[in-house]
Amino acid sequence: MALRFHWMLPKAGEVVPGASQTPQEALRYRADSTTEGSTAPRPDLTGWTHFARVAEHAGIESVLISFSRYEPDPLVVSSALGCATKKLTFMLAFRAGLTQPAAFVQQLNTLSCMLGGRVSLNLVAGSSLAEQRGYGDFLAHDDRYARAEEFLTICEQFWRNGGEADFRGNFYCVEKGKVHTPYNTNGSANGSRGPEIYISGHSEPALRLATEHGSCWLRVADTPEAIAPGVARMREAGISVGLRLCIIARATHDEAVRAAESLVPRDDGGGQAASVKLKDDSLMHRQAATNGSGWISANLWTGLVPFYGPVWTTLAGTPRELADTFLAWRDAGVEQFILSGWPELDTVEMFGRDVLPLIREGEACR
Amino acid sequence: MPLRFHWMFPKGGEVGMKTAQETSRVLTTKETSPASMPDMAGWTTFARAAEEAGIESALLSFSRYEPDTILVACAVGMATTKLKTIVAYRSGLIQPATFVQQINTLSTLIQGRLAINVVAGSSAAEQRGYGDYLEHDERYARAAEFLAICRSFWCANGNGRGVDFDGRYYRLEAGKIFTPYVGGGRSGPEIYVSGHSDAARGLAMTQASCWLRLIDTPENLRSQVATFREAGREVCLRLCVVSRPTSEEALQAALALLPDESIGREERAILQRSDSRTLHDALAAADDRGWLGEHLWAGLVPYYGSSAITLVGTPDELADAFMAYGEIGITQFIIAGWPKLDEMVRFGRDVLPLVRLREGS
Repeated sequence: MALRFHWMLPKAGEVVPGASQTPQEALRYRADSTTEGSTAPRPDLTGWTHFARVAEHAGIESVLISFSRYEPDPLVVSSALGCATKKLTFMLAFRAGLTQPAAFVQQLNTLSCMLGGRVSLNLVAGSSLAEQRGYGDFLAHDDRYARAEEFLTICEQFWRNGGEADFRGNFYCVEKGKVHTPYNTNGSANGSRGPEIYISGHSEPALRLATEHGSCWLRVADTPEAIAPGVARMREAGISVGLRLCIIARATHDEAVRAAESLVPRDDGGGQAASVKLKDDSLMHRQAATNGSGWISANLWTGLVPFYGPVWTTLAGTPRELADTFLAWRDAGVEQFILSGWPELDTVEMFGRDVLPLIREGEACR
Repeated sequence: MPLRFHWMFPKGGEVGMKTAQETSRVLTTKETSPASMPDMAGWTTFARAAEEAGIESALLSFSRYEPDTILVACAVGMATTKLKTIVAYRSGLIQPATFVQQINTLSTLIQGRLAINVVAGSSAAEQRGYGDYLEHDERYARAAEFLAICRSFWCANGNGRGVDFDGRYYRLEAGKIFTPYVGGGRSGPEIYVSGHSDAARGLAMTQASCWLRLIDTPENLRSQVATFREAGREVCLRLCVVSRPTSEEALQAALALLPDESIGREERAILQRSDSRTLHDALAAADDRGWLGEHLWAGLVPYYGSSAITLVGTPDELADAFMAYGEIGITQFIIAGWPKLDEMVRFGRDVLPLVRLREGS
């Protein structure tokens, strides 16, 4: 199967059609998006629509819309943005625990009908206790996964049993549940079973949830050797594996390395590192904090991770080096990638033009 | 202030239906009904006609038989420029912070053209299918906490300090939603609360901007309306209209809406199973007399549900009736008719100008 490439939806206000932006400016906008005064919480249809069309043209399959209290709601954003696009799939991040499963299924099914099935899900259990409590959720890490397990069990009943569900668990009870609006599978890779479900996280409960309820396990990029055990476990369970990473491509290796290192904040005063520490309830974040930063292979760099978190792990190099690395991950059993860059718009254009054709060539030869 | 007129948003497929019988609620709850499917073509046609008819908002009802109201409001809002939506939602199905995040996101995308109608739920069986096991009065107690939290978010995220709440049904610590509510100088949407029970009226009085109830005669409504107006709350009536050039034509058109008996039996069974006071009131009215006033008819309730109490008459008679409700303090109406689109176009063309004329003099 051909490798599948998805992209992060840029923050609202990040893409200004016609305006140019340096990588540093793009990084600063994103890093500041959780602070007071940022315009990122306000939906930006003009910029998003422009990005979505460029991404469609570049060969990107889906955009991942992240969920946090700093951003607009992904379901509502998809409903608006879906009207302006034709092919792109919307991968919605959502937190189990904030909505009853039946009400969530009703929303997701409605969206799938309006978008011809161009919907998938990225379940996150929540990474910050403070943020969860602001949403009214006081469960501890492993309990959140136990609840997510029940949540997905109920959702799957609705999707597989003609809109009906019956369930008694520790967190949810549903008696003769029925959602009449069906899940629309047009164009979905997942047949009549509801949306594809991406489950992210490095902890044991996250891995277990992925093998039991996921179509794809998402993790932060690392070297093929480092990810091998997790990948093997997922592939045995018939689950696809996807990597989250950022990319930087330049004409020469040295230029790419310089471009990457020029992004490291200089006079930060420890503020960003402190904000990463706030994600205290995520194993992915704790691992990143202890792993240190630097070049973990010729092209894979974690220099931004201490400042912005593990998903800022970056692949930097020439288009050929990037393509070869994606193919090496493919050999290791990875099938999907969720990418981002600085700026998002220039990077997705470059990826579609310079990198993706080399990957497709390489796939054809293997 | 001029009277405000809203219309019921059509169910999926309803805009294409030619007879009232096709649109009966009993049929829309069937497995094969198109009511469960989004119908952007029909909805866009309806929304543009509503804007032309001078209708302020469309009310999107919430049930398991229909698509999700918030996402439909977004898609319809993107296709219109003036029409507002009143989004019905059940308070127990979602955390208030998440609801606020969705509503605020929607408000920025459609320039604040929305209001919310918070419903505590109408049938215990349907609620249990949504995972909600509370009884009638407890559902209202929870809805009060829900709205108190939402309003606190809409008050600058708890006046900038974050939303803290420690109640019986919800607990939040330093809640904050960064996407703001945008629209018309308001810090949050207008809030409609519907229902006839003491619990519903109490909720409307303490947490809503407007109490929404079924139409009745002005005499029956007068004292309740006065109580709400004194407390600074608006009152909005839910009704249907049949307007024709002569009284006799209107009466015949109304009687022609009666469908076959089997639908009546099924609808009556639904109404009797419900634990909603509103529905029981409506059914009693239909059983007692049929005609509640000279132009107010409950004869359709056993067929089309509690909201089918209908004003029947000429445009002049209807305009006079609306003015009479205005005089006792009613400020808003949410109307439906059969077929939905045709009756709305007639209302905008024949009735509304007469109301505006009377308001001006």
